[in-house]
Amino acid sequence: MAKHPVTLTVNGDEHDLLIEPRKTLLAVLRDTIGLTGTKEGCSTGDCGACTVIVDGNAVTSCMVLGVTASGKEITTIEGLASDGELHPVQQAFINTGGYQCGFCTPGFIMASKALLDEDPNRSEEEFRHALGGNICRCTGYTKILEAILQAAAEIRETT
Amino acid sequence: MSEYTVVGQTVARVDAVEKVTGAAQYGADVHPAGMLYGKIVRSKQAHANILSIDTSEAEKLPGVRAIITQDDVPSGRRVFATDKVLYLGEPLAAVAATDPDIAEEAAELIKIEYEVLPVVQDVMEAIKPSAPLLQGDAAKDGPNRREISAQIRKLSRDKENDHSDEISKLEAELENYPDEVYYNISAESHSEAGDVEKGFAESDVVVEDTYVIPRVHQTYMEPHVSVASADSSGKVTVWASTQGPFAIRSGIAGTLGIPLTQINVIGTTMGGGFGGRFGVIITHVPAVLLSQKTGRPVRVQMTREEEFTDGRPAPGCVIKLKTGATNDGRILAREALAFWDSGSVSGASIGSTIRVRGVYKIPNLKVDAYGVHTNKSGTAAYRAPGAPQAIFAGECQLDEIAERIGMDPVKFRLMNMREEGDEVPAGGSEPKVGYKETLEAVADAAGWWDREADENQGWGVAVGDWTNGCGPGGVYVSVHEDGSVRIFHGSMDITGTDTAISQIIAEILTVPYESVTIRRGDTDSAPYSTGSGGSVVTFTMGNTAKLAAEDAHRRILELASERLNMNVDNLELRDGEVHVISADPPKSISLGELAAYSLSTTGGPIVGKGSFARQSSTPALAAQIAKVEVDPDTGRTRVLKLVASQDVGFAINPMAVEGQIEGGTVQGYAWAMMEEMQYGEEGNINPGFVDYRVPTSADLPTVESIIVEVPAPNGPYGAKGVGEPPITPTLATMANAVKDAIGVRINELPIKPEKVIDALKNNGHGA
Repeated sequence: MAKHPVTLTVNGDEHDLLIEPRKTLLAVLRDTIGLTGTKEGCSTGDCGACTVIVDGNAVTSCMVLGVTASGKEITTIEGLASDGELHPVQQAFINTGGYQCGFCTPGFIMASKALLDEDPNRSEEEFRHALGGNICRCTGYTKILEAILQAAAEIRETT
Repeated sequence: MSEYTVVGQTVARVDAVEKVTGAAQYGADVHPAGMLYGKIVRSKQAHANILSIDTSEAEKLPGVRAIITQDDVPSGRRVFATDKVLYLGEPLAAVAATDPDIAEEAAELIKIEYEVLPVVQDVMEAIKPSAPLLQGDAAKDGPNRREISAQIRKLSRDKENDHSDEISKLEAELENYPDEVYYNISAESHSEAGDVEKGFAESDVVVEDTYVIPRVHQTYMEPHVSVASADSSGKVTVWASTQGPFAIRSGIAGTLGIPLTQINVIGTTMGGGFGGRFGVIITHVPAVLLSQKTGRPVRVQMTREEEFTDGRPAPGCVIKLKTGATNDGRILAREALAFWDSGSVSGASIGSTIRVRGVYKIPNLKVDAYGVHTNKSGTAAYRAPGAPQAIFAGECQLDEIAERIGMDPVKFRLMNMREEGDEVPAGGSEPKVGYKETLEAVADAAGWWDREADENQGWGVAVGDWTNGCGPGGVYVSVHEDGSVRIFHGSMDITGTDTAISQIIAEILTVPYESVTIRRGDTDSAPYSTGSGGSVVTFTMGNTAKLAAEDAHRRILELASERLNMNVDNLELRDGEVHVISADPPKSISLGELAAYSLSTTGGPIVGKGSFARQSSTPALAAQIAKVEVDPDTGRTRVLKLVASQDVGFAINPMAVEGQIEGGTVQGYAWAMMEEMQYGEEGNINPGFVDYRVPTSADLPTVESIIVEVPAPNGPYGAKGVGEPPITPTLATMANAVKDAIGVRINELPIKPEKVIDALKNNGHGA
């Protein structure tokens, strides 16, 4: 299958790639670039495990073709910590026990980050609905909600 | 105030940073150089004869490197179907190619010719003589026929006397039970204590009902995956997402005829399992076969759709249950007849039907259970396998009795619960378990005693019991020159167990939790470990870890005794240093100094070894209360409150224990209200998250968890396994709450809105 040249900026690094048009952004991130922190849970856009941030918006990368992401700024779970410091959302997931098996965690953390960047003042109920696109099978969500609320408080204090 | 400094404290998990940064390596993250991508070719029919399999077109596709079928399985053990398929999605062949899309394309190019056969999916249809006989099983007798047939056999054996009259009378009696000849039976299990007929006769109230529990999928978020690499010497390395690497090793050895020492299974970080991640054939064996054939590493990864069609989910079942009690609230008898849908494989937790007994004194109990073949994939364990189903029936029926005799459901349960010292039917006596403490704790916390409900609101309560398993394990502990401690073992971390093991060792060696690190070996390097299922890990590996740490502790004191020239009795290990008891001025030597000193001693480095296999476990109880509101127009049930308590023995890491309670409770909620694998003539018809809905954060309120600690005598620090109990009562908790809200009982799960509407209509409540 013919390959197309694309340029992706992932976590600040520019990647010039030749990819088949049928490859999803998820496949490009994992198989071509080797960033495996983003997970594949359903391949149908329903579970949110593959959530990454594209130009500021949380998207399920299994639903985006890699070629259409050319020229865009992509942040994955690997790009969230800076200078050896965890992002407040990552730290909050640790503090509250907001993960168990950890497979959904990168997706939850990226979805949470996008939500908090947009508005850290949501109520618990609003966060519950806003995170409805991500599935966790281990936690029952109680501690995930604690995590995002803790991170929101931390972000409100520091900004 | 706890006497302990590390166990019993909430600590961040040992894998915290790798899990929140994307660094944790799961099965699909393994990518050896030159890796090929495997794809399993699956049946598109639910029941059919295979007339031919034509791989010629697929072989021509550029990038295809190998195609395998059952002919490639040396032991002949069924990996791929040959002449007949029994369910949609059953494996027929597998392909390896240079790209996942090419592998998928090749799988589609393999032509299968089918001769379609009649399908049966409903267990109650499958047992009838009209059903297609799926696996040629002999017909089995139901409970009444069994008893009569047993008498006939007994009389026939007596050659000295003539019983022909009695025998023909009994044979005539058999004719009274024509519906009790069951077909497609894969397994059966029977048990009886006391005399149920007598118990029912003495009862003031007898309730009888049929409960239907659907097949549900464990829905671990990481689909099954394995990466296999067979080298030219015959050595096979398998990176496997599994709960039990050692079981996978022996399974591959048996299926493919490879010696154990030639197989190394590396367990990758597990993206959930819940009992469903023990299978050997599923992806591991095809990956090894494809790697052997191509000489290259091969990854076989299931899609979510394949998980639904060819995973090994929890069995659905139909339970006919009858309970008798006196007007003053004593349960006298209970009788169950259960049909478990075992799909294409035998078994399906039928032995768990006995859990209809619950934690109650029931003097007369009879249980007959059958596994039934249907045109579905086989089943496997799911968090307390079989218990949620049986306990759903038992706990719903208890509420019905409580209502008939006008007794509060919590009080009714409390008065019937077994107590320490009560005789146990299997032998021995009831140990001390916090049955009543746990139920009282949840009732108090939920506000049960002064509960209020507006219109269309209701409260439900239920309890569920489970006893953790136990299995072999080994742990090594090393103490290093800087005073740090390293643990080495072979058991898969199941959401926090590595952390609990680390806490236990830190506690015994009196070092900070932060100075302990833990490493899991592969099957080539690590001591044998039982699989991580059955809530065994903290119990088994916790005990093993204690033994290893105590062994290291002995060596530490021995070294200190040599070094300080003091009798061991005058020494104690405290705060990471060995102190001379009552020395003035104080005298001590640090663990690091002792570890450095040990390197030049005859006895050598500090290495503690722990090895453990079996100790009797103590039952655990989970008790839950829900408050719900049902919208009579839409049938939708909203949970207003969900409170869960559990007797955990001792919580080694309370935050992790709460997480288990919350997660298990929500899985139980989902089984009660949302989840159901649906099947038609064509097989599974809802193989994805759009049609098979699992809960999201938007579906539920915060689950309140309550830890009750009644220590288990043989558990590490009194700990019991905590993973499985919380799912056991929730199905009934929810059903009882909905009944309280709408006044009509729904015995067939899940309680979807349409069922609520139907139930209301059928009882004259709706339009």
